[in-house]
Amino acid sequence: MRTIPRSRLLLSVRLILLGLTSIALGGFLLAWSGLYNVAASRGHWAAIDAILTFGMTNSVRTHALGIEARPLDSKDLATLGAAHFHSGCAFCHGAPGVPVSPIAQSMLPSPPDLSKSMREWRDRELFWIVKNGIKYTGMPAWVAQERDDEVWAVVAFLRLLPTLDAAAYREMALGGLTVPAQSGREIATTEATSGAASACARCHGEKQRGPKSRLVPVLHGQPAGFLMAALEDYANARRPSGIMQPQASELSAEDRERVARYYAGLAPPARPEPSSSDEAVERGRMLATRGDLDAKIPPCMDCHNTSSLEVYPRLAGQHAAYMANRLRLWRNAHTSRSEIMAPIARSLSEQQIEDVSAYFSSMHVLSPGKQNH
Amino acid sequence: MRHARSFTAIVASSVMLAGCGRDMQSMLAPKGIQAEQIAGLAWLLFGFGIFVLAIVIAATWLAIGGSARSRRILAQESTVFALGIAFPVVTLSLLLGYGVWLTRALLDTGRDQNAVSIEVVGEQWWWRVTYLAPGGTPVASANEIRIPVATPIAFKLRAADVIHSFWVPSLGGKVDMIPGRTTHLRLTAERPGTYRGQCAEYCGGAHALMALEVVAMPASEHAAWLQRAAMPARAPQSDIEQRGQDLFLAAGCGACHTVRGTAAAGTLGPDLTQMGARRSVGVDTMPLTRDNVVRFITDGQLVKPGNLMPEFRFLQPSELDALAAYLLSLKATDPDG
Repeated sequence: MRTIPRSRLLLSVRLILLGLTSIALGGFLLAWSGLYNVAASRGHWAAIDAILTFGMTNSVRTHALGIEARPLDSKDLATLGAAHFHSGCAFCHGAPGVPVSPIAQSMLPSPPDLSKSMREWRDRELFWIVKNGIKYTGMPAWVAQERDDEVWAVVAFLRLLPTLDAAAYREMALGGLTVPAQSGREIATTEATSGAASACARCHGEKQRGPKSRLVPVLHGQPAGFLMAALEDYANARRPSGIMQPQASELSAEDRERVARYYAGLAPPARPEPSSSDEAVERGRMLATRGDLDAKIPPCMDCHNTSSLEVYPRLAGQHAAYMANRLRLWRNAHTSRSEIMAPIARSLSEQQIEDVSAYFSSMHVLSPGKQNH
Repeated sequence: MRHARSFTAIVASSVMLAGCGRDMQSMLAPKGIQAEQIAGLAWLLFGFGIFVLAIVIAATWLAIGGSARSRRILAQESTVFALGIAFPVVTLSLLLGYGVWLTRALLDTGRDQNAVSIEVVGEQWWWRVTYLAPGGTPVASANEIRIPVATPIAFKLRAADVIHSFWVPSLGGKVDMIPGRTTHLRLTAERPGTYRGQCAEYCGGAHALMALEVVAMPASEHAAWLQRAAMPARAPQSDIEQRGQDLFLAAGCGACHTVRGTAAAGTLGPDLTQMGARRSVGVDTMPLTRDNVVRFITDGQLVKPGNLMPEFRFLQPSELDALAAYLLSLKATDPDG
């Protein structure tokens, strides 16, 4: 083997070090001089654009590797996702019948048209993007990082999005809410829009109509005190939700009270027959009325009956899917000092969660004051 | 000089040990028959240990610096046999026999049907107490035991979750509480007073905060007290107490706590029928005051980390006032006064 003379080796090392220093110095000078143009109006060079896209795509694919995808074919999940998409995403990404805002179009990069650009992503990659957002693009992260269940709802809807026309989208996103056409004066003088992005009823229903998605709680007839406390907790991020926090934080204390009183005064909506078995309902009834001494679970009904404090929700007639999801969230919560329900939910078994949710969803709701356990 | 000072320190600390907790919780200050037996046995063992130590030191000293004759005697096979085998076998057998004979009253229970019987269940981290009066209905209470003086008390000890150990040093003990088994202990207090007990087996995070007080009272007083304690809780006497009771029920406290005579009938947590008559809140963690009751309701996890009770932080100051007033009012009043 031919050996390289020591002097030539030293020279090479020096040249390499010099080169690296010049590059670092050059980069600093470029940034310092301000010659690089950060204008969104100018766009990227094609080569730069290709490199950035290449890096972004690979970063998402790599970081999403460990995520286990969930089944997304649930109508409840997609309906909830649609409602949030309408208020949270459509402004930038548009939707069938909803044009992308010209302001959003002028971003760099301009937000992609989701009816076309999603085919290249796997479910888990979409989940990662919606949950974490993407740096330097304007794509925000999910407001409540602990609410994976909400992120999956959006992903479930995104999978459905390419198949929707304007009417189907409107039906899903507005939850059947009909927004009357406004007069010229109304358009000119009120904030309300036909998109009704901030309308609670899109998810929670109104008057005779309950929530369209069974993952959304029935608010009809809940004590106003409970609804106000929940809205306040959402607004202050004490109760994490990427869907409810943006909505609640837009309401003033007076708004929260008014809307709470509106739902508190509504009669319970008609609901389809629950699908749980009678045995599950019976097991749930035992747990709700007697508790489980061995597992140290107190009876639900001691706090969730009609004569309980106003800050406690009434559970009769609530959707089983919503209740089970809520209990699982509490059970998996990492905070031990936050809420009354978290330590109780941690003692519940998976079957007890199903049973007790089935029981409350099967209960008939009587008008306040007449209900009895 | 230095020696004198360290000697004084040793004497002082032994005196302090003996007087630990103003004699409330010291096996060196026995206040019951069983504790006296144990203390007597301990002193006997201690004295005998000193005697053996003296022999060993003397033998060592002789072996090193003694005369040739004494060293020869020490080295004889018969000396080794006498001091090394015969002496320990005889004395240890005697001690064992004496110990068993002395504590037989502690081990042997269940024969005396007339003994007042109290069941104590160790839970994380409190004591469920049930008075089993012969012929009467069991009276549930928690975290404080009241016993008549000069009467043998048969304790039935059980555990609800993990192993605990019931120990009231001034009265005797200790006996483990084992899940799935019932262990027995007999204690007799000779003088009225308050004696502190403690869980003596590590049982989880708040083990150190699992203490209790045993109040020994004259037999006639105790009978009257037990009769009062068996009655339903005292009804609210003022507006604030009434508000407190309404709140207690509406907030769901009854899911875990019992207040006899009301709708609150939960058995997950301590029975509160007599809460106002107890000396402490949070199982001997803090003295029973209004502020401490409120503190346990709103910040119980700081006071006693890991305990089962959630923190009710949403309650308003006026609501907490009413709750505390109600809880402090829960004590059997003397029918005469």
